[in-house]
Amino acid sequence: MARVLMKGNEALSEAAIRAGLQAFYGYPITPQNEVPGYMAEHLPLRGGVYLQAESEVAAINMVYGAAGAGARVMTSSSSPGISLKQEGISYIAAAQLPCVIVNVVRSGPGLGGIQPSQGDYFQAVKGGGHGDYRLIVLAPGNVQEMADLTTLAFDLADKWRNPVMILSDGILGQMMEPVEFAEDQKPAKVEKPWATTGAQGRKPNVVNTLDIIAEQAEKNLGRLLEKYERIKEEEVRWQEANAEDADVILVGYGTSARVARSAMELARKEGLKVGLFRPITLFPFPEKQLQALAKPDRSFVTVEMSAGQLIEDVRLAVNGMSPVYLSNRLGGMVPTPEDVLSKIRDILEGRGKA
Amino acid sequence: MADLVSKGLTTCEGCGMELIARSILDVLGQNTIMLTPPSCSAILTGFGSETGWKVPAFQSNLENIAAYCSGISVALEHQNKTDINVVALAGDGGTVDIGLQALSGAVERGHKFIYVCYDNEAYMNTGIQRSGSTPVGAWTTTTPGGKKEPKKNIVEMLLAQGIPYVATASVGYIDDFKKKVAKAREIDGPAYIHTFSPCPPGWRAKPRDTIKIAKLAVDTNLFPLFEAIDGEVRVTRKVRKVASIKEYLELQGRFRNIRDEEVESLATDAENYYNKLLESEAK
Repeated sequence: MARVLMKGNEALSEAAIRAGLQAFYGYPITPQNEVPGYMAEHLPLRGGVYLQAESEVAAINMVYGAAGAGARVMTSSSSPGISLKQEGISYIAAAQLPCVIVNVVRSGPGLGGIQPSQGDYFQAVKGGGHGDYRLIVLAPGNVQEMADLTTLAFDLADKWRNPVMILSDGILGQMMEPVEFAEDQKPAKVEKPWATTGAQGRKPNVVNTLDIIAEQAEKNLGRLLEKYERIKEEEVRWQEANAEDADVILVGYGTSARVARSAMELARKEGLKVGLFRPITLFPFPEKQLQALAKPDRSFVTVEMSAGQLIEDVRLAVNGMSPVYLSNRLGGMVPTPEDVLSKIRDILEGRGKA
Repeated sequence: MADLVSKGLTTCEGCGMELIARSILDVLGQNTIMLTPPSCSAILTGFGSETGWKVPAFQSNLENIAAYCSGISVALEHQNKTDINVVALAGDGGTVDIGLQALSGAVERGHKFIYVCYDNEAYMNTGIQRSGSTPVGAWTTTTPGGKKEPKKNIVEMLLAQGIPYVATASVGYIDDFKKKVAKAREIDGPAYIHTFSPCPPGWRAKPRDTIKIAKLAVDTNLFPLFEAIDGEVRVTRKVRKVASIKEYLELQGRFRNIRDEEVESLATDAENYYNKLLESEAK
């Protein structure tokens, strides 16, 4: 297919349909409405089911049901709606059901605003719901990645029997860029012997997360945690630019990584040695890759649209080897490359506070 | 009477909800706490340090406005402030879909509050998505081919729950609405008013037709006006001559592709329901 101009939310939706999405469960909330809108229009014509739930809580639990019954399924929402889904997400992770959850992040806390934000980082990568579980979290940085990482999300969900979250925001969702879809993409055929697809010739499958015998629960949880360790080994994705000689490495994902890249380019023009590190998987976080870049005469700056959330994982990764600074805007404001450049100058001239 | 809602609000031209809001406070006056969920009515509660209300107000989340009302009502009772009206002003999505659990709980416990639903038959603030209250045949962005399922009847659900006061109302007959708000105030318990409220952008209708469409909905029996005190039904506007459903539908672009059999089912359902109401009234 030739390159076409699409909104991020539409590219994501189109990629999901091409990945063999069988059912989408939606509920209105700004700024993700293009996703259910696209699904309502296109999915039924291409063999799938579009259903608008009565709430976000209902939508995520429909996902639980459909995933348990063996379908490729997806839901999307935005921050307050994702908060509502958290109980369901915890259940899905515990039941090890594959599905894709899209969060087009807006600003919080509370009702907040509908402008773009990265304030849901902790919620996405540290759990969000109750109990010891992890999502695989993917952070697209442009419209092409909104599509490509959606395809990947479905494959990772099936491969690991784990919910995958795509952490986007209103800018990536609404912006238009050229995007290209593979011509001959065929959804992977995945065997799901655990799904509740009838019990002819085998024992009935039961989808359950109740675990009240502590010894058994600890063992089961151990298996889940072991899976997360393997995901950390195998699925880390990231991108770096100009890191080798950098005095300052900017760290950002999604929209803020775009700002960071522009800031890096401005800085390089001025002869400042600035690099970029962009995590594509937020869980698993590219911890070792960042650690390898840490050294005492190098600084890191996280560029965030959150109040210093990503910075905690960067600090854990560099583990005291390098100072880590924060350049951020909040409440739906987006940092400018100039903001970040001025932070870089402060650091290089000894005025920064780590 | 002092105007208790600011002038110059950013509601759309021809908005039914704003008229409902103004009318509520015209009747209830200053001794009122208003609540709005995330919806078009949230404009009235405002953001930052600005509000459109000249009375105290809360901005709730979408699914729990009735739970906020429960909390406020009980807290006021505890402080012996039982003369304060607690009023929710929520749309149909926040009421009949996601807000139903909290509303049902509040009604079951019997808290004193007034719940006004402005029913514009879809999620409008998020860009026109279908709700449980969207009628058959209506286009929305999530029912591109028209909705297949009939509108959920929340008033009957609340009646079945034994709510002490429930009514339907319409911006087309605003005096009738105001009378119902005045009655709701006198009820020592929950009161619910389901109010028909055209949305020109969402219905693809002309702003100047808001009142006309609202009147036609009543006069076609698509949205009959009645109230029930302790379950005693009374039709508050008798329809002598049934108006043309076709005229009602043609004023709204959302029904442009409605099928003939859907029009028929709307008409049949409307007639049957209106007759049922008249029968329950006679009992």
